[in-house]
Amino acid sequence: MSHMKELTKGLFKENPTFIIMLGMCPTLSVSTQVSNALGMGVAVIFVLTCSNIFISMLRKVIPDSIRIPSYIVIIASFVTVVEMVMHAYVPAIYEALGVYLPLIVVNCIILGRAEAFAGKNGVIDSALDGIGMGIGFTMSLSFIALIREVIGAGTITLFPIGSFSGTITLPGLSASPVRVMTLAAGALLLMGYLKAFFTWKSSKGGKA
Amino acid sequence: MTKYIKTAVTLFLISAVCTLLCALVNSATAPVIAANNENDRIAALDAVAAGFAIGEQQEGDGESVNYAIALTDDTGAIAGYILGLTGKGYGGAMDIIASYSLDGSIMAAKLTTNSESPGIGKKAENDWYMDMFKGLGADNPIPVSKNDLPSEQSSLISGASITFSGITAALRSGSEFVKGLGGAV
Repeated sequence: MSHMKELTKGLFKENPTFIIMLGMCPTLSVSTQVSNALGMGVAVIFVLTCSNIFISMLRKVIPDSIRIPSYIVIIASFVTVVEMVMHAYVPAIYEALGVYLPLIVVNCIILGRAEAFAGKNGVIDSALDGIGMGIGFTMSLSFIALIREVIGAGTITLFPIGSFSGTITLPGLSASPVRVMTLAAGALLLMGYLKAFFTWKSSKGGKA
Repeated sequence: MTKYIKTAVTLFLISAVCTLLCALVNSATAPVIAANNENDRIAALDAVAAGFAIGEQQEGDGESVNYAIALTDDTGAIAGYILGLTGKGYGGAMDIIASYSLDGSIMAAKLTTNSESPGIGKKAENDWYMDMFKGLGADNPIPVSKNDLPSEQSSLISGASITFSGITAALRSGSEFVKGLGGAV
């Protein structure tokens, strides 16, 4: 039962974006299109899970004085791996994510979970924590991207499959979108409203 | 002293294992990435060749024009040039492939490698973006800023002025380069 709790806590109760407020830079910058958010989410789930597993396995071997450099080396290696694999096999997503893909190395969620959880807990719990937090991050990022893209561009960009081009165009909104939502100001504005909503939901006011 | 040696050896071993992992993945992905890049380059050249035959690659001006490729028609006469250009965007250097008629007007252009912001500067990868510049460069000048565009086009590139300026600057230098060639590489 406790294993299940490690998996689910990252989805809502300790959601990295809306509750813990980690990884704000990629959240605000990559959430312009749903496809970018999903691509970034998958990359973060992979890096977070693998780095949590390795760091948990090595937690009794790594001396405390070199804890952070060791974590960074491990995280950077997995980011490099995911970067090379995406460049080779999903080049469109690799190009779309641009500089934010290598910047996963310094994403607060990854190092934050390594320091706060994986360095102190067992392999299974750390793996579940990584998966749960990664999925929570992906859900939040996709939710923000969906709102920003629909209002800011009048489209929903997914992935091309067969005859489907990958882009759903919404009539009306696509003709006169609210452009500010695709810009940094729109991202900050939306994040503020969503944070206020989730804070209200988790407060007494939300329960009333 | 033993403590420091143990610490150094631990960090070295972690780094060595991580390096080995990266090397293994690189050995598997590097050939795929190289093949993808070459396919992208060929596809981009075909896309801007406008039906003309693509000749041999020649040196550019060493500045914004990286290389020039003559385009020949059915008779073998030079009909234009494809240029590999580098522009300065919001996220750093941007690679652009553009074809020009002999008078320096743009036939087609394509933004290839770039690090522009997703959903903002990266709009320049779309065909409609580069179509704005078709036919410009000879009698009609290539715009310097988005203020030179009609309002409906200007609103489409809203929020990505640096990308737009970088692309137009590269396209202008390409146009001048072609005019300077006078029909021969």
